[in-house]
Amino acid sequence: MKMLSKRLIGVIIVLIGVIALVFVMLRVIPGDPASVLLNEHVSQENIDRLTQSMGLDKSLPEQFVDYLGHAVRGDLGQSYFFKQPVTALILEAFPYTLKLTLLSIIFAWTLGIISGVISAMYNEKFLDYIFRPAALLGISVPVFIVALFLQYLFYFRFSLLPLTYDTSLLSLIMPAIALGWNSAGSVARLMRSNLMEQLGAPYMDTALAKGLLYKKAVLVHALRNAAVPVISMMALQLSGMLSGAVITESIFSIPGLGKLALGAIQTRDMPLLQGTVIFTALLIAIGNIVADVLATILNPKIRQESNR
Amino acid sequence: MTKRNIIAFALLIALVFTGCAKSSGTPAGSDQAAQNTASSGTESVLKLAASTDITTMDAHRTTNDYIVPMNVFDTLFSIVKNDDGSTQIVNSLAESYDISDDGKTYHFTLRDGVTFSDGTPLTAQDVKFTFERILTLPESAQTDFAIAIDGAQELLDGNADSLRGIAVEDDRNFTITLAEPFAGFIASLATPSTIIYSEKIVTEAGDDFGVVPEKTIGTGPYIIKEWNKGNSLIFEYNPNYWGEEPSAKRVEVTVMEPQVMNMAFQKGDLDIIDCLMLDSAIVDSTYKTDAYKDKIVSIDRMGMNFFIMNENVEPMGDVQVRKAIQCAIDRESILSSIYEGDGKLEDGIYPTGCIGYSNENQGWLKYDPDAAKQLLADAGYADGFDMEICLDSSAIDAVKNSVQVIAQNLNDVGIRATIRTIDHASFLDHRNSGEMSSYMALWILDFNDPDNIIYTFFGSEDNAKLRSSNYHDTQVMDRVAAAKTIVDENERNSEYAALEKKLVQDDAVWVPMFSVKHLFVKSDRVEKFIPHWAGWSDIYFAQITLK
Amino acid sequence: MKKENRQKSEHEFLRAFLQNKAAVISTVIILLIIILSVLAPFLTRYDETGQDLLNRLMPPGNGHIFGTDELGRDVFTRVFYGTRVSLLIGLFPTVLAVAVGTVAGVCAAHFKGAADFIIMRLADVMLSIPGMLLAMVVLYTLGGSLTSVIISLILMEWGGIAVVVRSAALEIQECEYVTAAASIGAGKLWIILRHILPNLLPTLIVLFTLNIPSSILSESSLSFLGIGIQPPQVSLGLMTGTSRQYLFSSPHLVLAPAVMILLLVLSFNFLGDALRDILDPERKTL
Repeated sequence: MKMLSKRLIGVIIVLIGVIALVFVMLRVIPGDPASVLLNEHVSQENIDRLTQSMGLDKSLPEQFVDYLGHAVRGDLGQSYFFKQPVTALILEAFPYTLKLTLLSIIFAWTLGIISGVISAMYNEKFLDYIFRPAALLGISVPVFIVALFLQYLFYFRFSLLPLTYDTSLLSLIMPAIALGWNSAGSVARLMRSNLMEQLGAPYMDTALAKGLLYKKAVLVHALRNAAVPVISMMALQLSGMLSGAVITESIFSIPGLGKLALGAIQTRDMPLLQGTVIFTALLIAIGNIVADVLATILNPKIRQESNR
Repeated sequence: MTKRNIIAFALLIALVFTGCAKSSGTPAGSDQAAQNTASSGTESVLKLAASTDITTMDAHRTTNDYIVPMNVFDTLFSIVKNDDGSTQIVNSLAESYDISDDGKTYHFTLRDGVTFSDGTPLTAQDVKFTFERILTLPESAQTDFAIAIDGAQELLDGNADSLRGIAVEDDRNFTITLAEPFAGFIASLATPSTIIYSEKIVTEAGDDFGVVPEKTIGTGPYIIKEWNKGNSLIFEYNPNYWGEEPSAKRVEVTVMEPQVMNMAFQKGDLDIIDCLMLDSAIVDSTYKTDAYKDKIVSIDRMGMNFFIMNENVEPMGDVQVRKAIQCAIDRESILSSIYEGDGKLEDGIYPTGCIGYSNENQGWLKYDPDAAKQLLADAGYADGFDMEICLDSSAIDAVKNSVQVIAQNLNDVGIRATIRTIDHASFLDHRNSGEMSSYMALWILDFNDPDNIIYTFFGSEDNAKLRSSNYHDTQVMDRVAAAKTIVDENERNSEYAALEKKLVQDDAVWVPMFSVKHLFVKSDRVEKFIPHWAGWSDIYFAQITLK
Repeated sequence: MKKENRQKSEHEFLRAFLQNKAAVISTVIILLIIILSVLAPFLTRYDETGQDLLNRLMPPGNGHIFGTDELGRDVFTRVFYGTRVSLLIGLFPTVLAVAVGTVAGVCAAHFKGAADFIIMRLADVMLSIPGMLLAMVVLYTLGGSLTSVIISLILMEWGGIAVVVRSAALEIQECEYVTAAASIGAGKLWIILRHILPNLLPTLIVLFTLNIPSSILSESSLSFLGIGIQPPQVSLGLMTGTSRQYLFSSPHLVLAPAVMILLLVLSFNFLGDALRDILDPERKTL
């Protein structure tokens, strides 16, 4: 529990760092929302009026202090365009991204673990030669190519799944596969190598000597120990998945966080963009802690080491 | 140790699944709701696509996102395109109007019995409120459309409490007095910029107006039901609509990537596809085929592309250099290849179909790289010079490709042109700063009047700066501003013609490129479809008849 | 591997490497691609930006091995010129990110205390922002170009590298010969240069090889969003991204660069895997 509180303090420091970094970076982006609003129909008068009404003429430190004060209370400001609190917009978009990432994690783990285990059990045999390159293939294709290919196959050719998101769970299958594809490859590789290691461990010989069948021994002992690092990998994957969500969500028209952030940066809706980046950072931080806790519970050895 | 592991695993699995159940709980509910409404009239659902989501539903806060203003609200007048290509103004919310002899005072009578979709009656006071809001809303983007009214400048500057140019007589009658005569005024009342709001509804909704669908209420043929940001817009017909009941009872506009639209249309999941979203070669090979060619709906776009050169960026301040660039760009090849020839070359300022357009200037501008080289040599740039062309990264592919060809054309005559691609917001900012060295622009008419285009680009020094042309001749710009107020039609047209010749032929202020045909393809379910009169991508749903 | 006798370990490494089929094959493929893309100007008679509007979107054949693109440019030529840029994007930012990450990681491990805390929190900050969002912010700030893509990739990658290097460096520091060197009064810089860095080398090689493919993939995602490399410059990611709408009508436009990306990324991943097996068989750090 001491470790947990230490981690929490770390998270808070990191979050403040993220806010400061994002705040400074977003101020140097050229282009302002007034121009976007006016688009082709600009006039100098209108630009000046808009800039003022958005409070963009205040000084930078002033804006930062204002922002931090409100952020602590969960108020991330108001979106320039949607005229709604950023927090509300984020909470509206988050469930979609959550659903998408959970589904793709389930997909990635199921596929990854199964193929990893098969690959390890039939090491250097026919099945291994099929599954190992397949796993590498998984991490070697750009997300959008997978997405386009899926759309072509499951929608255009065989009419099995909806093309874009239409609130049904069914329409999340393609995006989840597209997003989980890369992770499935990583999980499979990690699973394979961990399991190989476990299969060579002395306790396996003991188990086999005790008369357990090979397959059962694998399932009961080796698999469990091999899964620990895979769980730690979850946190790392979360960041990658949120990155991939930006692309997957735009291809499949999912109104999630990635799409929200992309729209915000395109229209220079700074409060909204800031809010989304900070919120995803918070998610990743929470993911890290959960992974750490799980790894500690599963593997007591880590508790004594506690490197970081 | 074993026990602990099992517990941890159970925990993990429980975590994943409760998360899953929780998150799938909500969509299941909304899923059912969506199905219920859809099943009430599956045959009359119209499915459309848009390449980007809107940012607001309030026309006063955008000059771009007109899909909601066009279909949920009405203007006082509307524009209809005749078969011969000319346009005609017809009454919409206005029942009649007359103009005083000096061309400054307009008297209007509103159509009787019009209500907003929630039952609130439309009154003349609402019209006054709408124009006052355009001028007083801090983030108003539409002030250009109200500024002609007498007293507008004072209200905009905060020196007045109300708009003195609009006098309400009773619930249906009002007069608008202009500061100066403006022949295009009635036409400007037919664009989505000047849709009429209800004072009561807008005031009650406050910040929610234009954001929350239930509170964004208009008099138009449709009601906005849902705005799922980044995903879709759902419209349903307005049972209280004063006009004819639209054919499509429910309209779903989904945000899609262009290649996704193409797939969806071919599978019958879209009723209309906007061909400008796709490469013309794809349109050619997929849709100009026996299977689809009868389904193509085409409209000549009342707008044109042109290439703007910044006079403040050396050596483009030299008129010889600009004339050389006019000769160097192979407009015909671009039109025939990238646009598959669906359009016509333009040689002036007013696009074909625009009031003030004449074909007298047609054909004077010819692709002639040798002449271009000669002009450059005469100007002292025989060895060419470095030049930057800016490109908006959100532009459609046809524009991106055209710019690459333009760069190649310029390199062919010795001008070392490079392309700098920047994102939309930075592009606009850079252009508005007056420092963009050159770019390919597009203007589609908001209302059919030459002032709409020439004033925007050359009406004042500010406007010339905002378009990064930095045109130098203030005398010409004063004439442009004055031409707006000429009452006599012939006199006005000849002044506009003279200005066009001066600007494009004498001063080579830009390279006129072409106007294109805007093609759409309709599905089997669509009987008839009339696109926006100027060829916008946004369409009036009521102009679509389903089978 | 952590033996002082480096002569011997180099020899061992070479032998293990040559015995590893995956390593050899992927190295050969990578070298082949590098040679071909360097020789690109001699392989084709077309110019990578040379347009031919009359012959746009031609199918493969007729003097164009992979056909022509939307402006009539030769796709075969563009694939190899695009590979040049993609290789550059794979290698250059990775070298810099590994350099930055190594300096940061070693410093954190060596100086401990405040330096360690600050460096690692900074790395955490970078790691807490999803890479794509970070890159988007950088690219919108600087405008899409090769330089800004490289900068954003370095920002995306150094943090993760620093974390791995730090833990590897910590482990090396615990080793007897390092503590022994310290006890006989060797300088800090000497210890880092003489003992820590050489022993970090295997870790760094593997990190380097595995970060190349992820850089190439990240660039292709950025190009998909239209904010990466900008035309007329060409990269494999940009080619796939911009030609996605021709997937049905002219599939060669998407497939040619996509297969090249696949080949490159796959080879680097195979190589990275093989190197990890050879250099760090017990998987202590990676």
